[in-house]
Amino acid sequence: MNEEYFLEQDRDHEFLEGNRGLSQDQRAELGLGALVFVVVGLLVAMLAFVLHEAWPSFAHNGLRWFGGGGSVDQQIQAIFNSGEYKTAPVYTFHAWPLIWSTILITLGAVAIAFVTSLFVAVFIVEFAPAWLRRILEPVVRLLASVPSVIYGLAGVLVIVPLIGNHLITQSEKASVTPTIQLSGASLLAAVLILTVMIAPIMIAVFADGLQAVPRGWLEGSLALGINEWRTFWKVAVRTARPVLVAGTVLATARALGEAIMVGMVSGGVGFAPNPIDGLVFFFEPSQPLAAAIIRNTEGLSSPPMKHTLYAIAAVLLFSSAMLSVIGWAAKQPMRRYAVVS
Amino acid sequence: MTLGSRVRGAAALAVAVAVMAVPAAASATTLFGSGSSAEQPILLVLFKAYNRLHHNTRFNYLPDGGNAGVTDVQAGRRLFSVNTRPPLPSDAGTTYFKLWLDGLCIAVNPSNSVSNLTIAQTKNVFTGVATNWSQGFGSNLTTTIDPFGRNSTAGLYTFFQQSVLGGATQSSNVQQEGSDGLVATAVSKDPNGIGYVGIAHTGKGSGVKTVDVNGIPCNQANIKTENYPLFRYAWGVVPTSHPSVAVEKFFDWVRTSKQAGQIINRGGAVAAFNKK
Amino acid sequence: MSAVTTAPVRKPDSSSASWRLSDRLGLGLAWLLGLLFCAIAAAIVVYFLVEGIRYLRPSLLVTNPAPAASESQTGGFLDPLLGTLIVGTMAMAIAVPVGVGIAVWLSEFGRPTGLARVAESAVEMLAGEPSIVLALFGTILFTAPALGFLSQTTHGVVLGQSFFAAAALLSLVGLPLVVASTREGLQAIPSHVREASYAVGKTKIATTRRVLLPAARPSMMTGTMLGLGRVISDTAIVLLLLGGTLTFQAANSTPLLGLLRGTADTLTGYIYYNAPTGDGNQPSKAYAAAFVLMLFVLALNLGVDVVLSRKRKAVTWK
Repeated sequence: MNEEYFLEQDRDHEFLEGNRGLSQDQRAELGLGALVFVVVGLLVAMLAFVLHEAWPSFAHNGLRWFGGGGSVDQQIQAIFNSGEYKTAPVYTFHAWPLIWSTILITLGAVAIAFVTSLFVAVFIVEFAPAWLRRILEPVVRLLASVPSVIYGLAGVLVIVPLIGNHLITQSEKASVTPTIQLSGASLLAAVLILTVMIAPIMIAVFADGLQAVPRGWLEGSLALGINEWRTFWKVAVRTARPVLVAGTVLATARALGEAIMVGMVSGGVGFAPNPIDGLVFFFEPSQPLAAAIIRNTEGLSSPPMKHTLYAIAAVLLFSSAMLSVIGWAAKQPMRRYAVVS
Repeated sequence: MTLGSRVRGAAALAVAVAVMAVPAAASATTLFGSGSSAEQPILLVLFKAYNRLHHNTRFNYLPDGGNAGVTDVQAGRRLFSVNTRPPLPSDAGTTYFKLWLDGLCIAVNPSNSVSNLTIAQTKNVFTGVATNWSQGFGSNLTTTIDPFGRNSTAGLYTFFQQSVLGGATQSSNVQQEGSDGLVATAVSKDPNGIGYVGIAHTGKGSGVKTVDVNGIPCNQANIKTENYPLFRYAWGVVPTSHPSVAVEKFFDWVRTSKQAGQIINRGGAVAAFNKK
Repeated sequence: MSAVTTAPVRKPDSSSASWRLSDRLGLGLAWLLGLLFCAIAAAIVVYFLVEGIRYLRPSLLVTNPAPAASESQTGGFLDPLLGTLIVGTMAMAIAVPVGVGIAVWLSEFGRPTGLARVAESAVEMLAGEPSIVLALFGTILFTAPALGFLSQTTHGVVLGQSFFAAAALLSLVGLPLVVASTREGLQAIPSHVREASYAVGKTKIATTRRVLLPAARPSMMTGTMLGLGRVISDTAIVLLLLGGTLTFQAANSTPLLGLLRGTADTLTGYIYYNAPTGDGNQPSKAYAAAFVLMLFVLALNLGVDVVLSRKRKAVTWK
């Protein structure tokens, strides 16, 4: 009844107004487009600001900024002191250990979270009994909105001592001292905490996408005699692949930007973990890029340090932008199977 | 939301903006400061006590770190700052006042029987020369040493570097934490741990035990007499030209009054110049 | 995630015993991971529940925090709790309309395609940026004299810290999640729904407002909850742009606006400061506050569920 009233209004409005000015749609498009333009402009301004502040650090180091060589911690202190004591500014910085740590922790957490979240989302949407589903759905949403300080505290107070005192043996500790210390704050702890932090996000987004699959497609598959597991896997999950990509991109971006909590459990040393070390590799401490920024915020008052920190921030910004492009590229071949073209 | 409600919302916002632009008469002056986050707990109590005595003076303190605080004062963004390191050549344009004393304690896990360390021994631990508790520390443990410290831009690390390490950098096996609280937590959870923290993070309930340095215990009495080797001052920083009179009066009160002295002592630091 | 789901498609007489091994393994793994997830979630919630109940007293919720040397005199956390409420509401009040607007434009209009690509990348770039960088950008922005009316000015220097400043930057933190979820929700609606609506003569914008957005409401809700979670868990922006002061410090005595132009703290900042890992050294209050924060998030989620189930009649076109 309401629909018909507005239907009349729309058509009569267009008819009576004639071609005076812009149509409703054009006005909406301009309005929304302007909003998008303003927001994008703000973000571009922020990017320009970060790049402008980061330039001296990149200029002095060139491509070696991304390479290895030397101790990152000592380089940071040298940079900081040169500004503090007003001596000639030092910019030498080789960030490879930080970059490698970020890659390991982020990819590790996303890989584990993706597999886990996919299965849990499938479980929630299709295979859980109704009573369990009614519990799980609010629980997932609750966990997705729990502040990361809670996970960080649980990590520092429970997980790190657990790993340090019960999982790492004395001989392992003795084998690496005094180069590094295996205290429990490690790759393993960081990946675990980060996985627990991003999995609820992925589950929530995946479950939304899986529920949007048209029922008729699933019923058709069942009618052909395929069992529910295969039906759901081959039809629903395949259809929802763009949503899987979107959820993964979101979760990866969150993992990249989580600074404080990951910094508390990852070890705080600019060390590049070495896979050749075998089992010890998982217990080695490191420092990802975002944690390096937050750790050294006090150094912002020293100009060379400020430029270096902004350079790290620029790398993170660039990584998220690249992530977005990769996500878009991954979705392109899937357009054929999308629910809406 | 319909278009009508959006227009109404925008109008309300415009009215609100107009109202905000009308300045209201301020009944109190707010003094803006920034600086060390380690001294923030004591400072907040001092602010409150001072406000009870002088109702017109309020404080707003941003704990962005000692070094950032000095830069804020130099740039005129803040009226005062609190720092825990002595003045440097780069602090030109500011005047430093000694406010109170603080100490850096060496903390170990309570299950460790070590009771005394010399400065040389501490340096060996934190530069990676000594790696096992059985290497002459008088400890009951025979495991690897797990040293915990602060990150390289922290004021406490600069102090530790100058007074214990003799200018050397801490070894890469020292796990760098972002705050004294994190160091104390790490040491309390690791039986093999050792770390350096401000005296406020030791004592009952902190989960760690302090060791004597060169035979002298780390407590308030020894810091006050400057017997304990690892003492330092908390400094108040104001701009040299046109410092705020209200801030100087506050710093005077902090340094000399009996009430401020009690607050400082209860807060875990050591009152240096206050009347008893 | 929608609160009301249609019943799964299940043949009445099927059992998994007749399936291939790999399928049964798959189902078993799904069950295992689902229950493991429940267990971990329960462990975290129970840990903070136990610690929180041990330390929580009702007086903590209604007393203002006060700086004092001994823990018994430091009051409760009423101000940080209100701070979280206010800043969360303000930030989402900006993020949701802007985010939905951007999502609608990207999904329904999206011309010129160059701007659409840039907008997508820009919003997702925002998602991966540590909030400290946003906070620094915000400090530069809000200490500009032109924006001085949004915070306080002293001795000719703009302070740049207030609820307005913090909410503005926090909305940027929550924006990508709202945009992504709403966009997925809109794109999941089959094209025949739009075509049917155009066929009866409705304009694109009317279709969006009256048909598409209500149908995408569950996704919008998911995005809002995710965004709100990210907003209230932020510490860096709160410290630099809200001031991190223990109690509300209003800019002047104007009732609401003085408060919003003043500085404050949030519950997350309070927890971080008082946790065993912070400087405030009051772990019992930190646990109590963490418990209250989880209750607050839980209440918010339940509220969203109630709103959803009331307004939603099973919208399906399948």
